[in-house]
Amino acid sequence: MRSIARARVTQVWIFLSSITVGSWMLGATHEGSGIAPNAAVTAGILALAAIKVRCIIHYFMEVRTAPEWLRVFTDYWLQVLMSAILLIYLY
Amino acid sequence: MRDRGKRDLWICWWVFPVFYTLFGVIFVPLTRVMPPPRPDVTADQITAFFDAHSLTIKIGFGLLMVVIGGGSIANGLVAHQMKRMSISPVFAYGYIATLAVGGIPGCLFAGLAFLTATFRPDRDPQLIALLYDIALLSFIGSLGCFATQYLIFALAIFLDRNRILPNWMAYVSIWQVVTELMAAPVFIFRTGPFAWNGAISFYEGTAIFGVYIACLIALLRKAIERQPADERVPD
Amino acid sequence: MTHEPKLEPRRRAAVKSGTPPPGCYLSGDTGMWVFVLGDLVIFGVYFIVFMVLRAGDPRSFLSSQRHLDLTMGALNTLVLLTSSWLVALAVQSVRTGEIRRATGLVYGAGGCGLLFLLIKAEEWHTMIGHGFTLTHNDFFMFYYMLTGAHLLHVLIGILVLALFRGEIRDPRLRRMSVVEATATYWHMVDLLWVVIFALLYVMR
Repeated sequence: MRSIARARVTQVWIFLSSITVGSWMLGATHEGSGIAPNAAVTAGILALAAIKVRCIIHYFMEVRTAPEWLRVFTDYWLQVLMSAILLIYLY
Repeated sequence: MRDRGKRDLWICWWVFPVFYTLFGVIFVPLTRVMPPPRPDVTADQITAFFDAHSLTIKIGFGLLMVVIGGGSIANGLVAHQMKRMSISPVFAYGYIATLAVGGIPGCLFAGLAFLTATFRPDRDPQLIALLYDIALLSFIGSLGCFATQYLIFALAIFLDRNRILPNWMAYVSIWQVVTELMAAPVFIFRTGPFAWNGAISFYEGTAIFGVYIACLIALLRKAIERQPADERVPD
Repeated sequence: MTHEPKLEPRRRAAVKSGTPPPGCYLSGDTGMWVFVLGDLVIFGVYFIVFMVLRAGDPRSFLSSQRHLDLTMGALNTLVLLTSSWLVALAVQSVRTGEIRRATGLVYGAGGCGLLFLLIKAEEWHTMIGHGFTLTHNDFFMFYYMLTGAHLLHVLIGILVLALFRGEIRDPRLRRMSVVEATATYWHMVDLLWVVIFALLYVMR
């Protein structure tokens, strides 16, 4: 049990769960009758999502210790996707 | 190194790129089915479309009726390679059967419907629009047979211990299943990304199909090159 | 799913500790990575098309989004994150030879997968009950298509986890490449949902 608690993936899981609860609260406080577009909140949401995805890729999928081509591809994919989403949103 | 003993296989292999090139020329510039004309048009606009392209449609699909057998030869070659795998021949039979069934709505219907539409241009526009819908709905929407074919192909590669085709090709085949299924809503939407001319249902699916065919042609060539000329393939 | 012989000594080193050795260790096999990377690109296109459509009518998308149950969405995210964590622990347990623990963990992950399906079914049921169907508007068209495509991946994922279980049950097998490849697939399913959650449920 102690080895599970100390495992890096456990720390990552706790971190990811906290962020999820965080973005849940961030989204929830803006609920109600007057929902307006909010670039700051959205940018925050996307940034949090990007962090979560990167953690899953690096720690769960073990890309952190993988060959460079894989690290580069996954990083590019995430960057291109998130930039495109943000750009389309802002434009 | 090409053996005299495998000349029959090489003839079949060459049918592949020749047929699919013809397919491209027929469906893209000649008959305008790829990319498809829009679903959200009136019967009069549809009649105008057929009038404008009548000649090239007749040439293109008339040619398709003659060369369509090439597709069957290509499928036979793939099935032959599947028979060389360590799995049951059921997979090869399933592959052939799903494509034999799928080829009719997935290829021939569009041709026949378009040819019928251009055959008598003074037909009632509503009937012409009907032929237009049947052609394009069957062409894009007949995804079930092909999704099954891709699944059978992927499973066969995964289970094959003779390593006739590499594992990653099975995964490419699985992408095809995903993109085929995303074309299911074409029967519902007349505009947008899930219509028969949609960014997702048509364009993304076709792009992945292009990747699949290119890989398949290249891998079949490698497989035939490695195949011993005197190999006994079970019936 | 094949072994790559030149990684064998590194695999043996990984077996001793639970985590991959530092340096270049390809978890799983190249075939599964080809699939995962391709699927990421395919879904990436779906996400971008969604954003483009959304840009055409942001008011309608925002007001439709209000009808989604944020709690269920967040809950599902936590469920999948937990399942991924359990799978990651399971892989490490297989490496250290703790097969019984790995089996329990992968069953737990599978259970989370089933829980996800139940929550999703309940969510769809509620939405349809309120009249928000596939054809209601563009937002809901994407809602069902995206979560539907993802749902299909979860269903396949549960079968893939069963493959994981089958692989470790037989002492003559227990190939790390199979164990890692199946785990990689499951993490992809989790990862895709994180993006879907952000785009459909939370972003403003």
